[in-house]
Amino acid sequence: MDNNMNLTTDKKSFSAMLKSVFKRRASLDARKARAGYVFVLPFILGVLLIYLPILIDSIWFSFNKIIPLSGEEAALGRIELEFVGLDFYTQPFADSTFTEQLLAGLQQLLFEVPAIIVFSLFIAVVLNQKMLGRAVFRAIFFVPVIISTGIMDSINLADQMSDSAGAGTDDGSGASANEIISVLDVQQLFASMKVGGELVTYVVGVVNNVYNIINYSGVQMLIFLAGLQSISPSIYEACQIEGASGWETFWKITFPMISPMILVNAVYTVIDSFTRTNNPAMNYIANIYDKAQMEQATAMYWMYFLIIAIIIALVAAVASSFVFYQRRD
Amino acid sequence: MDSKTVITKETKNRIQVDYEGKLTFKERMLKKLKTSNTWIKVVVNIFKFILMLGVSYVILFPFFSKIAGSFMSPSDVADATVSLIPRAFTLDQYKYIISDNGYFFHTNSQGVQLGAFFNTLFLSAICALIQTMVACLVGYGLAKFKFKGNGLIMVVVVITMIIPHSALELSMVRHFTSFDLGHVMATETTGILSTLTGSKIELTNTYLPFIILSLGGIAFKNGLYIYLLRQFFKGVPDELEESAYVDGSGTFRTFVQIILPLSVPMMITVFLFSFSWQWTDQFYSGLFFIGSNRPWVMPDITTAPTSLEILYGNHPVWSLYQNILQNTAGILIIAPLVVMYLFCQKYLVQGIERSGLVG
Repeated sequence: MDNNMNLTTDKKSFSAMLKSVFKRRASLDARKARAGYVFVLPFILGVLLIYLPILIDSIWFSFNKIIPLSGEEAALGRIELEFVGLDFYTQPFADSTFTEQLLAGLQQLLFEVPAIIVFSLFIAVVLNQKMLGRAVFRAIFFVPVIISTGIMDSINLADQMSDSAGAGTDDGSGASANEIISVLDVQQLFASMKVGGELVTYVVGVVNNVYNIINYSGVQMLIFLAGLQSISPSIYEACQIEGASGWETFWKITFPMISPMILVNAVYTVIDSFTRTNNPAMNYIANIYDKAQMEQATAMYWMYFLIIAIIIALVAAVASSFVFYQRRD
Repeated sequence: MDSKTVITKETKNRIQVDYEGKLTFKERMLKKLKTSNTWIKVVVNIFKFILMLGVSYVILFPFFSKIAGSFMSPSDVADATVSLIPRAFTLDQYKYIISDNGYFFHTNSQGVQLGAFFNTLFLSAICALIQTMVACLVGYGLAKFKFKGNGLIMVVVVITMIIPHSALELSMVRHFTSFDLGHVMATETTGILSTLTGSKIELTNTYLPFIILSLGGIAFKNGLYIYLLRQFFKGVPDELEESAYVDGSGTFRTFVQIILPLSVPMMITVFLFSFSWQWTDQFYSGLFFIGSNRPWVMPDITTAPTSLEILYGNHPVWSLYQNILQNTAGILIIAPLVVMYLFCQKYLVQGIERSGLVG
């Protein structure tokens, strides 16, 4: 009798336990989801309460003409809006300057993105290996990250402009970074080999812009370095045992393993190249903004954003078909 | 173990062993040199070193010429034979930029104020701290928790990176001159602040716009930080948290006591990024600091100092000299960053290594 009782209570408690386990399990997931929301809450709030209104109004302004009010109203910073529809979006195409600048920006992009990615990957691979003075070189390669934005960028730009204007201060001592490598030599080298003219102009362009390319690949290099260090050394070890050469190891191991980072960097480089102040199109729009045609400039920025978004989608689509993901779970 | 094997030296990761037939160091090196592989290695290493030296030269050379130029007087600028070593050494540029342009202390209509250095230091430190913290929180939330809309939020993070911030210039100024939470001008919705207090606040010429943007994780390049930290936290093994949970620690305690100490190097990397980008920021300070009573920040010191303009304004090389003045201001701007970088460098390089340690 006693035994039987025990059994039933055991059964009961077992089912209760089962229930509570399942219940707790569900609530654990829910709890974790809730915790996840709490973690991203600052960003959600920031986007919903501040970023989105700014964004919507920015688009709204691009469809409107701002009429400044006079007197007391103006002192309060009030404005009146007049709806003009798509005027600001069609106007830039009336004269060909904007399209020309856009194409120039695209050309710069086509030229820069491969150069920056190849260069930063190369440097990251070299810096990842053991070599003399590695720590010092890593420190030096961080410098472009600091100086390629904001106020330093505009100072550098002013500097370069005066350099190219033929300032008399530099007397062939290589003061301008462009003179470090002689363009003529590269041209001669390629002329004697039978390669296409486009390639020659591309390489000469890269050589000409070596300073810019080095200075704009700081962040990409850091990202690559982080990616390279995430590759497990045991894979390389296995490769060595199988007798693979360094060249084979790079193309069969390093390249596929780093390919997600190549995608990230391609997207980042496109963004960076487009939104940098010395991009011809950005420069052109900024000039229009300074001429107090702010609504016009805003509309152009939005068009510009759409073009960037399309290009980034294209780049991501093309690059992601080459990306190799190591599935571990 | 062989009886003839003797351990001569033992440290944490190395054991030196003597055994029968062991070659001396010299003999081993000679044997190594006989294989062609070693020679190739040596040549490749020398080549790599020279290459890196060359690229470092390209990066650093502009600094050398800038630093050299900052000590030149106008007569040196006019003299084409002077290239790197100034003949008439002068500190005028530094002196007048610091005194006239208000590097340390700035005088406006309300008397002596703190100058560009202190204001920018304060602003950058606060923004970088907040941005690092917020990016850590959001990055951790996106990396480690499955919830509805996780992917969508990641897309939004990328979108905030893509939209050129100048596209939001006009609207941002208007929003922060009469600030309200969730107020859309286009549809004239009332914001949270107006419903609570009945009025909007003007935030221009204060640090608040920067702090608010940082708190929301939507300030300059914050998308990149969130993305970077998300990738990093994704690499941290789940077992760490699971064991903490089993021991009865809550989500936040686990985050603060287990995850954060582990990610200090990565956090310093992000802190350094955001500090130096806020330090050299020109765009946002140009937007929010308007009028004569604005806080004096770094971009304000790049104009030519008035006393030097009076002295050399009519000099034939004035436009070139202005360039040198700008470069001098640039050196004054990045000098504190270099000092800070030297302090953080140890953690930073480590951070790069650690960030990938656990793919």
